Amino acid sequence: MIVDLLERGGDLVEQADVCVIGSGGGGAVAAAELASAGLDVVVLEQGHHWTARDFTQREDEMFPRLFEEGGMRATRDGSINILQGRNVGGSTVHNLCYAFRAPPAILRMWREERGLEQLSDEAMAESFARVERNLKVKPIRPDEINRLNQIVRSGTEALGYSGFVTKHNREGCVQSGYCILGCSYDAKQSMLVTYVPRASAAGARIYANARAERIEADGGGTRRVLGSVVDLDGAPRASLEVKARAVVLAAGAVASPDLLLRSGLGGPHVGRHLHLHPSVMAAGFFDEDIHAYRGIPQSYYVDEFIDLERDPHRGYVLMPISGFPVLTATQMPGFGRDHYRFMRDYAKMAGLLVLLHDRTSGRVQPDKSLSKPRIEYALERADARQLAEGLVHCAEILFAGGARRVVIPFLPEALVLERGADLTQITRRGIQQGRIPIASTHPQSTCRMSADARRGVVDSWGEVFDVPGLFVADMSVFPTSLGAPPQITTAALADRTSQRIIARRSEFSA
Amino acid sequence: MSGEPPTRCSPPRDASLLAPTRRGFLRLLGSSAALVALARIPVATAAPRGVAVGNSALPFFDSGQRRILASVLSRMVDTGGDSIDPGDAVLTIDALCASLDPTLTEPLPVLLQLVEWSPVLFQLRFARFTNLPPEEQDDCLRDWMTSRLELRRIGFAALKNLSMLGWYSQEASWASVGYAGPLIGRGSVPPSGAGNGSGA
Repeated sequence: MIVDLLERGGDLVEQADVCVIGSGGGGAVAAAELASAGLDVVVLEQGHHWTARDFTQREDEMFPRLFEEGGMRATRDGSINILQGRNVGGSTVHNLCYAFRAPPAILRMWREERGLEQLSDEAMAESFARVERNLKVKPIRPDEINRLNQIVRSGTEALGYSGFVTKHNREGCVQSGYCILGCSYDAKQSMLVTYVPRASAAGARIYANARAERIEADGGGTRRVLGSVVDLDGAPRASLEVKARAVVLAAGAVASPDLLLRSGLGGPHVGRHLHLHPSVMAAGFFDEDIHAYRGIPQSYYVDEFIDLERDPHRGYVLMPISGFPVLTATQMPGFGRDHYRFMRDYAKMAGLLVLLHDRTSGRVQPDKSLSKPRIEYALERADARQLAEGLVHCAEILFAGGARRVVIPFLPEALVLERGADLTQITRRGIQQGRIPIASTHPQSTCRMSADARRGVVDSWGEVFDVPGLFVADMSVFPTSLGAPPQITTAALADRTSQRIIARRSEFSA
Repeated sequence: MSGEPPTRCSPPRDASLLAPTRRGFLRLLGSSAALVALARIPVATAAPRGVAVGNSALPFFDSGQRRILASVLSRMVDTGGDSIDPGDAVLTIDALCASLDPTLTEPLPVLLQLVEWSPVLFQLRFARFTNLPPEEQDDCLRDWMTSRLELRRIGFAALKNLSMLGWYSQEASWASVGYAGPLIGRGSVPPSGAGNGSGA
């Protein structure tokens, strides 16, 4: 049962075995697994319940529907744009479906350096397999690789670099290319069409437009979640209260620590250790029409510049990227006639981004507005150097793939590189926040997992230290930056946490 | 992790250059944080059709502000061919601003006034932006874009992004950049693996 609280009207008063906060990549998994095991589950989702019928493939309509702060969420200084979902299904509704397990070297590092012995490859394998089965993860077929990704592959191989065609979670994909605006064909196997319906069918009561604002966990076995029924721009319309014996917090790496801090729970590490996987991009211009916006947006992955076996703490990957006209126009340098010189060649444009396995550690804190936490993140110099180095490789790959010109969108003046140009110009300009567009789609680690209560927020099962029955099940539990697209790892850790709750069901069921 | 204390990498700021003017500028703008947010507007776009959000039925700008915005937009987007009619784009921006959290949009009218009077304020010329010939309007906007004052650059980014949003949300603009537009309702999608827009 999925209930639109705005449409229903009135306050919400509920009681359940488990209250799950958030219905995205972690929350939906927890809700489905727990409800399927017979637990009585209530899900609170602050976003609206949009479905394929609402996905119009228009930027001006979809960004306000699907993204936190209408897509404007940013670090406090405005230098890093952070894209997070705000809808039933969370960020899985707009993500681009890379389907990777956590790299074995990262799991090993979490075991060896963080003492998380339970996160063995064998222990995680069952959760990974279950999640991949439910999300229908499969290799992308050669005939599904669009021209953008073909070009990146060609350039990568010409230079002898390492890259590969990835797996994804799509079924019956029609290759429209509008994944980031929500799949109008229900081909993307997001939480919206997989775990959320499964949770609903198993009896979970899923409430949309329901914002949790405080968790009370003072003594006894019952937890209380208090909050508001909110309209589409976050204004409160009514109140809500859910009593439950367990709470699974899965609101994402910004909202989860914000809620814990507002509730005075979780200890001194809550909100700290924020990693963003920050990314910067280069745009290549070709003689041919590429129409990068059509077809599966990301199917190739360049891993030449990350060797986690050798050093699990650093490196970066390169990923093809495309945008629709509004987004592209805002990224292109200058204005007027100069700007149009780039936009005129929109159809001939291919983007390649650097996604950094970052060591920089930022912070999330509550601010005046409930929907706009304060996010601080100042790139460490070593990370800035890696991003600049990555842009050099983006440029050389795009040139090797046939680009006649590559643009690095530095502000206020872009760097326009013609074929044969000295690419060290990029590293000489360097990466400075506010001087180049930087984006993040993977905020993580703000409620990090640790074997030691003095070093983290949750234990190896996702349970908050000193608050029995309060679990965290989203990307905020990653002990460090993951260094890979996080969708499958997030879901697998949530699955694992759910199995733990099920094993202890006598504590949590009425 | 390394035990070495991390060094931060933020844009250099010459406080002696910025301080006096910046204070006044901040007073004028009222809320820099809101402008920062508007500068991220590449993806913050108009209210969903058919969904009431805030006061979206009401216009946000008055006629004078719309005139300045249209003038700015005409210089921000110059496709080089036929002169563009910014009217629809301005209406789109107006609808967006009416639907957003007021704390985000509060500084916009002031920002437009600053642009209108920027020849006086920043170039010591007694003229309004809207009365300048196009080339001089471009010079004025370039002055904002390259300003040493971070807030002026942010203001420029906000106006640029609003302009791009207003213009490139119009279906009429798509042909000029080779964008085929949404496939919804066309009854066809690209053939498997085509990835070349041929299905559009």
